[in-house]
Amino acid sequence: MINIIKVLFKKEVMDASRDKRSVMAGLYYAIGAPIGMCLLMSILLQQLASPEALKITIENASNAPGLVAHLASSDIKMADDKNDPLLKPITLSISDDYKQNLSEGRPATVTLIADKSDDKLGKHINRVEKAMAVYGSEIASLRLVSRGIDPNLMRALAIEVNDQATPDSKGGMILGFVVLTIILTLFYAAMSLAIDTSAGERERNSLSLLLSHPLSSLHIVLAKVGAIAAFSMLGLIVILVVSKVVYPMVAWEQLGFSITITPEFMLFCIAICLPIALMSSSLQVFVSFMAKSFKEAQSYVTMVLFIPMALSMITTYDIATDVMQWLPIAAQQFALMEFIKGNPIPVPQLLLSTLITLILCAVFSFLSARMLKSEKVVFGL
Amino acid sequence: MKSTSEYRNRLIKLAILPFLIVNSAISQGQENDNNPVELTPCYMEGLSDRLMCGSIAQPLSDNPADGEIDIHFAVIPAIKPSNPEEAVLGFAGGPGQGAVDLAQVFNRNLRFARETLDIVLVDQRGTGYSKQLQCDSDDLKTQFAFNDAITDLQTMSKQDTEQCKAKLNVDLSHFTTSAAAKDFEAVRVALGYKGFHLYGVSYGTRIAQEYTRQFPASVITSTLDGVVPMQQSFAAIGEAIDASLQALFERCESDAACNEQFPRLEIRFNEFLARLEQQPIEAQVRHPRTHEMIPFTVTKMKFYSAIRLALYSHTTRSIVPLVITKAAQDDFSPLAGLMANADLTQSLAMGMHNAVVCSEDWPQLTPQLRTKYSSTYMGKTMIEGLDIVCPILEVKPADKAFYKPLKSDKPTLLLSGARDPATPPSWAELAMTNMADATHLVAPTATHGIGSQTCAPKIIAQFIEQKSMQDIDTYCIKDKNDKPFFMNINGVANTHLTPATNKE
Repeated sequence: MINIIKVLFKKEVMDASRDKRSVMAGLYYAIGAPIGMCLLMSILLQQLASPEALKITIENASNAPGLVAHLASSDIKMADDKNDPLLKPITLSISDDYKQNLSEGRPATVTLIADKSDDKLGKHINRVEKAMAVYGSEIASLRLVSRGIDPNLMRALAIEVNDQATPDSKGGMILGFVVLTIILTLFYAAMSLAIDTSAGERERNSLSLLLSHPLSSLHIVLAKVGAIAAFSMLGLIVILVVSKVVYPMVAWEQLGFSITITPEFMLFCIAICLPIALMSSSLQVFVSFMAKSFKEAQSYVTMVLFIPMALSMITTYDIATDVMQWLPIAAQQFALMEFIKGNPIPVPQLLLSTLITLILCAVFSFLSARMLKSEKVVFGL
Repeated sequence: MKSTSEYRNRLIKLAILPFLIVNSAISQGQENDNNPVELTPCYMEGLSDRLMCGSIAQPLSDNPADGEIDIHFAVIPAIKPSNPEEAVLGFAGGPGQGAVDLAQVFNRNLRFARETLDIVLVDQRGTGYSKQLQCDSDDLKTQFAFNDAITDLQTMSKQDTEQCKAKLNVDLSHFTTSAAAKDFEAVRVALGYKGFHLYGVSYGTRIAQEYTRQFPASVITSTLDGVVPMQQSFAAIGEAIDASLQALFERCESDAACNEQFPRLEIRFNEFLARLEQQPIEAQVRHPRTHEMIPFTVTKMKFYSAIRLALYSHTTRSIVPLVITKAAQDDFSPLAGLMANADLTQSLAMGMHNAVVCSEDWPQLTPQLRTKYSSTYMGKTMIEGLDIVCPILEVKPADKAFYKPLKSDKPTLLLSGARDPATPPSWAELAMTNMADATHLVAPTATHGIGSQTCAPKIIAQFIEQKSMQDIDTYCIKDKNDKPFFMNINGVANTHLTPATNKE
C-alpha cells in the first residue's frame, strides 16, 4: 500500500512540477510577503521616527523666553517662516499674564492648539506636551529648592517598573504579523496546486482515468494531500529563508526591539508546521472536490482560507487567548511567537492542537476519499 | 553640639568632592552561550529594561593569602545585536561611584550605541556591589548643625578616618586604579567579548586610560567624557571650580534681567565668603524634608561646597544667583534646599575614593604644586583634607609610570564642557598629548559630563559604530544648552511688578 501511495505521490509531484509557472505563482507569496512587509515597516519607521527638528508656531513667545529656550533645547523650535516644510500645525499660545502668574507662583497658562484626530500629528503633540511637562516640573522643583524644601517630597512613591521583556520579545504585534505571514504560506503556497490536482484533474477528465485503476480512493487522496503538503513545506522553507535575510535589514532597534530569525526557530517552525501543512492540503482538496467546477473551487478555497487566517489573527491581536490558545493554528502560532520571544513554549496546548490538526487532516482526507466514490463528484454533476 | 564620633568623615566628604558623574548608568549585555559566568536577570533603579547581572571572583592581590573579591557587573543587552563580539564598557566616576547602580544614566547617554551593542557595567572593586568600602556618614540634621570651622577639626577628622580604617579593615592599596583595571579585563574574558568600546566619565576616564594602557588589545575605541589626565592631580580642580563659577557670574552680569535682579553678584559672593570666614553664622532653617526647625551653622566650607556642587548641572546653576543673594541677606532656606538636593556622598564609596586619591593624587603633590593648587579655596581645602586622611590610611603610592600621559593609537574621542567645574577642556588637551588618533570636542556651554547634555549621545554612537571620527558632523555640540536664571523664588521675575508679592 505504501508503494502505491509512493507511486501516486510521485505522479502528483511530477504533474505539479510540469506547470512551473503555477508552482512559482505559489511561491511568489513566500518570497514577496516578508519583503513587502519589510518595505512597509521601513516606511512606517521613517514616519514614526521623530524628526530631528520640529517647528511649531508660538504666539506671544516673548512672554516666556525660558519655556521657548527649553523647547528649543528639545529641538522644538519656533518657525520663522510660515512656509517652512517642517512647520506642523501646532500652535502654542502663551497667555498675556504668563509672566505675572509665573512670578506670583500661580499656574501660568499655555494653550496648545492642535487637531488631535490627525494621526500624523499625534506624536508631535505628545513631544511638545512632554517637553513642557519637563519644563514645568523643573521650575516647580527649583521653586521648592529655593524655599529650602527637598523637591523629592513631591515624589511620594518611587515607582520602579521591572519590565520582563527582552529586546526580542518587545516586537508584540509586529512579531505576530511575522508569524502570521509564515503560517499563511502553508495555505497560499499550494493553493493553486490543490485546486489543480483535484478540481483541475476532474475537468481534464484524468480523474476518472485515475479512478478506473484498481486503487483505493483513499490512496489517491493521501497521495494528493502528500504532494500538496510537500509544496506547502517548500513554500515554508522559502519564506523562512527570505525572512531570515530581510527582517534584520529593517531598523527595528529604533522602535526598541529586534526580530531575529534563528536557525533554531526555523527548525522548530518546520516541525510545528508540518501537521498544519497536511491539514491545509486535505482541507483544500476536500473543498475543491466539493465544488462542481475549477472556478467554483477557487472561490470556495479562498473563502475557506479565511478560517485559518482568522485563527491566526486572533492570536496576533491577542483576542480571547485563554480559549483560543487550545485551537489548531492559533496554538501553533502562539507557540512560535513564544519561541521567538525566548519564553517557555506552552507544551500541552501545542500537543493538543497538533493532535486536533492531524485528526482534522484524517477527517478531511477520509471525507474526500468517500466523495470520490460518488459518481456525482467524480464527474462534477 | 554633638559628640565628635558623629562627625565622621564630614570634612572628607565636604572637601574632597570627587569628579562625579551626575547621571550615570550601567547595563548588561546578553547571555553568551560559551560563557562560564552565570547571568541572572536584574533591574536597576530608574530603568525598566531587564539587565543581566553576574559576578566573578578575582584575587584581591598578587598574594593568594589575601583571598578573593567578587566583582559584580551588569549587561544592558543590545536591542538588535549587530556585533555580539563587541560591547561598550562604561566606567563610573567618583572615584567611588558604582557603575551598576548608574545603569539608567549609562543607558541614556549610550542609548544610540545600545541599539546595536551591549553595554557592560562593572562595579569597580570597592564600589557598588563589589565589596563597597563605605565609611559611616552623618545624617542631614547633623551635617547642617556641624561647625567645621572649629579648631579641633583636625583631631576629629583623624579620629573619623581611623574609625573608618578600622571598620574597613583591609589594605586599601588593593583598591587603586591600576589594581582595578585587571578586574575589567577579567569580566571581558568571562563574558566572551573580543573587545570593548570604552566610555568613561570623569574619574571613569582615568580608569579607562589605565585599562587601555594595561590591555590595549582589548580596546577598540575609547570615549573619554570629562577627561582626567594621568599626569595631573585632581587637586588642580580648584581652578576649574573657580573658572566655572566665574563664567556664571559673567553670564549673570551680561544678562540685563539677572544683573538688575542680582546686581554685583560676584562682589556679594566674595563679601559673604569673607564674612563666613570671620565667623560662621548660626541660623535656624526648616529641615528640607521633615519641616522641623533645625539649627544650621553656615560655614564657608559648607556654602562654597554647596555652590560648587550646584555648578555641575544647568538646572541648579540657574538658582545660584538667587541662593547667593538670599544667603547674603541672611535667608538660608535656598541654601538649605540646595544642600538637601545635593546629598551625593551617600552613593560614594569613601573608602575606595580615599584609596585612589591617597595612592594616585596625594603623593604627586610637590611643594610647588601645593602652592599652586592652594591658591584656590577648594584646592587648598582638599590638600588639607588629604594631608589628614592619607597618612592614616597608608595606601601604597602609585608607580611613577602611572603618571605618564597615555600613549595610545586607539581611536579616541575626548569630550569637554567649557563650563565644567571639575574637568575643564584644558585637562583633555593634557591627556591627549600622546594619543595618535584623538579628537577633542568642546561644548561651549556644557558642564561636567557632556554625554548627558547636548547632542553628544548621537556623536558617541556614530564614533563607536564607525570606529573613527571621520565625516561625523559635530556641529551640534556647539548648541547652547544653558538655562535662564531663576529670577525670583517662583521662577521668572516680572521686573515691572513690585517684588512685594514674592515674599516668602
